[in-house]
Amino acid sequence: MNVIWQNLPVILDGLRLTIQYSIIAIVLMVVIGLIAALMRLSRFSVLRWIASAYVEIFRSTPLLVQLFFIVLGLPALLPVNEWFGQLAYPIMAAALTLSLNEGAYVTEIIRAGILGVDRGQKEAAASIGMTALQTMRYIVLPQAFKRMIPPLVNQAAQTIKDTSLLAPVGIIELVYKGEVVIAATFASFTIWGLIAVLYFIIIFSVSKCASYLERRLQVDKR
Amino acid sequence: MINVKNLHKSFGDQEILKGIDNHVDEKEVVVVIGPSGSGKSTFLRCLNGLETVTSGEIEIAGMNLTDPKTDIHKLRQHVGMVFQQFNLFKHLTILENITIGPRKVKKMQVAESNEIARALLAKVGLSGKEESYPDELSGGQQQRVAIARALAMGPNVMLFDEPTSALDPEMVGEVLQVMKDLAIEGMTMVVVTHEMGFAREVGHRVIFMDDGYIVEEGSPKDIFSNPQMDRTKNFLAKIL
Repeated sequence: MNVIWQNLPVILDGLRLTIQYSIIAIVLMVVIGLIAALMRLSRFSVLRWIASAYVEIFRSTPLLVQLFFIVLGLPALLPVNEWFGQLAYPIMAAALTLSLNEGAYVTEIIRAGILGVDRGQKEAAASIGMTALQTMRYIVLPQAFKRMIPPLVNQAAQTIKDTSLLAPVGIIELVYKGEVVIAATFASFTIWGLIAVLYFIIIFSVSKCASYLERRLQVDKR
Repeated sequence: MINVKNLHKSFGDQEILKGIDNHVDEKEVVVVIGPSGSGKSTFLRCLNGLETVTSGEIEIAGMNLTDPKTDIHKLRQHVGMVFQQFNLFKHLTILENITIGPRKVKKMQVAESNEIARALLAKVGLSGKEESYPDELSGGQQQRVAIARALAMGPNVMLFDEPTSALDPEMVGEVLQVMKDLAIEGMTMVVVTHEMGFAREVGHRVIFMDDGYIVEEGSPKDIFSNPQMDRTKNFLAKIL
C-alpha cells in the first residue's frame, strides 16, 4: 500500500494526461468522423473516394504501427521536428494519429446513423423547400445522432483504452508513468493493478453517464 | 397554375410515364386515379421535382421546373406536398414541425411563425397538440399536421399523394374533411387517391391513368357514370 501512496502523485499526473489525450481524441474523432461520413455520402465521387481510402487505410493497419510510423518514422523523412518543434511534434502527431484512427470507425458509425434515417424524412424536408444542407442539419443529423449514441460511447471507451498505445512511442501518460514507477520500485503487480483500476473507473463512469443520457433521450422515445 | 408538356419519366430502362400532357387551372381540384403502378404517384412527385423528369416540360406556380436555372428549393416553397406516410419530423414537436419551414427556409421570426402555426392547427382541428410529438398522435391527426406543415409555407398549389391510404378507416373522414375545406377556400389541388367519394364530391376533374398514360379525363360525373374507355370501365368496375 505504501508503494501506492508514495507514487500516487506521479500516477495521477499520468492519469490527468491520459484524460487530456482522451478528450482531445474523442472530440477530434467525432469532428473527423462527421466530415468523412458526409464526404462518403457526397454526390462528388472524388470526395467519396478520398473518404473511403482514409477509412480503409486506418482500419486495415494496427494503431500501434500507425503511431510508430507517423510519430517516429516520419521525422526520418521530413524535418517535421524543426517545423513543429522537437517536443511538440511527437505529442501533436500522436494525438492526431489516434484521432484519425478512431475517426475512421466513427465515420462508419455516423454514416450508418445517417443512412438509417427514413427516406421520407428527407423528402418531407425537401418538399418544404429545404436545401440538402438544411435537411442534413435540421432533420437528418438530429435524428441520426440519437441512434448513434450507443456505438459512439463504445468507440469513446475504445479510444480511452487506445491512449495507452501512446506510451510505446514515448508520449507521457498513465501507462508511461506506471512504467517509470515500476522501474524505480519493481512493484509491477501493484502498479499495473492500480492502472487497470484507474482505467476502469474512467471508462465505467463514461458509460454510466452515457446510459443516463440515453435514458433521458429515450424517455421521449425520439 | 400547372402546365405539363410531353412528360416522360424512366427508372433505368423502365418507362413509368410515357408522355403526359395536362393543364391545371388556378383553384382547380384535380383527382388522379388509376391502378397501382400506373404512374400516378410518380407523376405527382415530378410536379415538385422529387423525381427528376427524363424529358418534357413542367410549369408550376409560375416557375419552369424543368429549366435547370430554376431554383428548385424556391419552387417547392410554392408547391406543398402531403405524403401517404405523413413523414412528420419525428424529433420535433407538432408546433416545431409546422414552424421549421417558415423559420429555416423563409427566415421568419419565431413569434410570427408560431402565430401562423397555431392558426393552422386550429384550422385542422388540432389546437392543444402544439407540444406533442408525432408518435403521440393518431394517423389521422398526424396527416392533418402534415397538411398544416405544408400550408405554413403559403403554397399556391397542394399535392396530395394518397393521403388517406395509410390510415385506419375511421380516420379517413377527418383528413378528407380538411382537404375539402381547403378546396372550398380555393386552393389549387392535385390529389392522387383511391377515395372515389372524395373525387366525386370535391374534384372538379378526374384523370384516369394507366400504364404511364392519361387514358381518360373529365368531370367526376362523366368519368364515374359514363366512362368511355374500356380500361377505365374495367378499373371502375373493380373498385366501385
